Amino acid sequence: MPFDVVGRVLDNQDLGGGYFLTTIDAPAIAGVCEPGQFVMAGSTDPTELLLRRPFSVCLVGPGGGGARSAVAILYRVVGRGTGFLSRLVKGDGAALLGPLGQGFSMPRAGETPVVVAGGVGIAAFPFFLERLAAAGRPADLLYGGRTAADLPMLAWLRARAGSVAVTTDDGSSGARGLVTGPLEARLADPGARRDRLYVCGPHPMMKAVAAIAARAGVPCEVALETPMACGYGVCVGCVVEVHDFHGEYGRYRRVCVDGPVMDASEIRW
Amino acid sequence: MSAVRLETEIGGGLRLKNPVLTASGTCGYGLELDPYMDLSRLGGIVVKGLSPAPRAGNPPVRIVETPSGMLNAIGLQNIGVRAFVEERLPQLRGRGTAIVANIFGERAEDYREVAEALAAADGLSAIEVNLSCPNTAEGGMIFGVDPASVERVTRIVKDASRVPVLVKLTPNVTDITEIARAAVAGGADGLSLINTFVAMVVDIERRAPVLANGTGGLSGPAIRPLAVHLTHQVARAVRVPIVGMGGIACGRDALEFLIAGASAVQVGTITFASPGAPLRILDEIEAWCDARGVLDVRELIGSLRPWRESAS
Repeated sequence: MPFDVVGRVLDNQDLGGGYFLTTIDAPAIAGVCEPGQFVMAGSTDPTELLLRRPFSVCLVGPGGGGARSAVAILYRVVGRGTGFLSRLVKGDGAALLGPLGQGFSMPRAGETPVVVAGGVGIAAFPFFLERLAAAGRPADLLYGGRTAADLPMLAWLRARAGSVAVTTDDGSSGARGLVTGPLEARLADPGARRDRLYVCGPHPMMKAVAAIAARAGVPCEVALETPMACGYGVCVGCVVEVHDFHGEYGRYRRVCVDGPVMDASEIRW
Repeated sequence: MSAVRLETEIGGGLRLKNPVLTASGTCGYGLELDPYMDLSRLGGIVVKGLSPAPRAGNPPVRIVETPSGMLNAIGLQNIGVRAFVEERLPQLRGRGTAIVANIFGERAEDYREVAEALAAADGLSAIEVNLSCPNTAEGGMIFGVDPASVERVTRIVKDASRVPVLVKLTPNVTDITEIARAAVAGGADGLSLINTFVAMVVDIERRAPVLANGTGGLSGPAIRPLAVHLTHQVARAVRVPIVGMGGIACGRDALEFLIAGASAVQVGTITFASPGAPLRILDEIEAWCDARGVLDVRELIGSLRPWRESAS
């Protein structure tokens, strides 16, 4: 069950390049959330910022209530909501609703977890990478960004992933090109390995990865991001179109309650 | 606890335990709010608009935030009246709050069909007729802007219903009082107003609307003063009770509507931002009345006085 709380900001880290990592004390949410779930974060004053914004739970860590009592969100400042959050300082209150939605599934026996992240899409994964490492199933990370400045948390990730392959559009870090390059190379290798893909990034990148996964016949989970007013199922603003019309909402499914993590093959890209 | 009496009446003899309802389209089918509040404390729940058959709604992008507001173009996505009656209503009735079914149709006949399906169901407190959705070609606004159509559709629903009928008015008209009078002439037991204003946000880089539908309905605090004004105008024009809404975010906002002439209010967009908002607003209304010695919330309804210089 989600909790609606006002959490105190414990830390607001400027990671450079417009990226921020904001840690908020929220024991109720931190204690139960799962990798891939999200929170709605915003102002406690609706005249300051009317709607909250959806953010993946990037990390769960220590706070006032013990080892697992704070949540951290990672974002790039793009508008009023992220601008508001980036200006919060230690001690400020933030409205937080969560945990919300469906998270990632753990890899099945014999599967190798492969995380494919584009830019700030990495925000969906640090918590998951920790979980995988703790389970003795470290993931291989394919991490793409526009430039070297668009690879937040890279050093942290290198310490937790089984392997890391980096690409940038301009070649300023890792291989020049798109993150789909090393993915296709990997999937072309007819080894005994069985991969399960976990993807988050810009829509065109996720669409491309979903197509590659479908061709290679490997399972692929995507963490979707769409504009949301509520995050808990009532506004019906965040829908994606799906192939299977079985649901009572017809050909659209709500990202907030049916996602944000969905099977890539379900989505009409 | 305070001694403030909060009961109110919104038409056709329908008494509410207090004047705060959740607005259609902002609370799902009511049950979605269960994790966040004691539903029995609400004056009522107005469920998402129901049509004869399920509807998928508009393609995304469906929402965008604007200064102190938001645009939506959901397109009346809903599970259809049968699924509501069979699957949702049984879980809703007996929850100790009034259940109001919002209905709409493409043709006048659709309104009759939905009203008849609801008349056969138990546990419904009232029907709210949506003659005002701006987001579909056939979402009711085509009826809601024409007085003769408003009267006709209202009469159809009224004749088919066993419960009080509220008619929800659009603000996208030249003279809302003309529409209000037409609804009353058609037999409306009460009126609810306002629905959203037709609006547009342009993505200047793409030189295209942000919403896939092109336009959407503007809601939220940005429209509140407009809604208060229209509530006041309608309250002076008709004798049936009015349920006011538009951008209510706190108890003081709700009190403006009551003083302007509303017998109850609906809370909408703010529930997106804060799922517990409807009960917070109720508590704030009660606290305000308590602090000022207002013993019965009905004292406030339509109590607006002419402007005068404040005593100093």
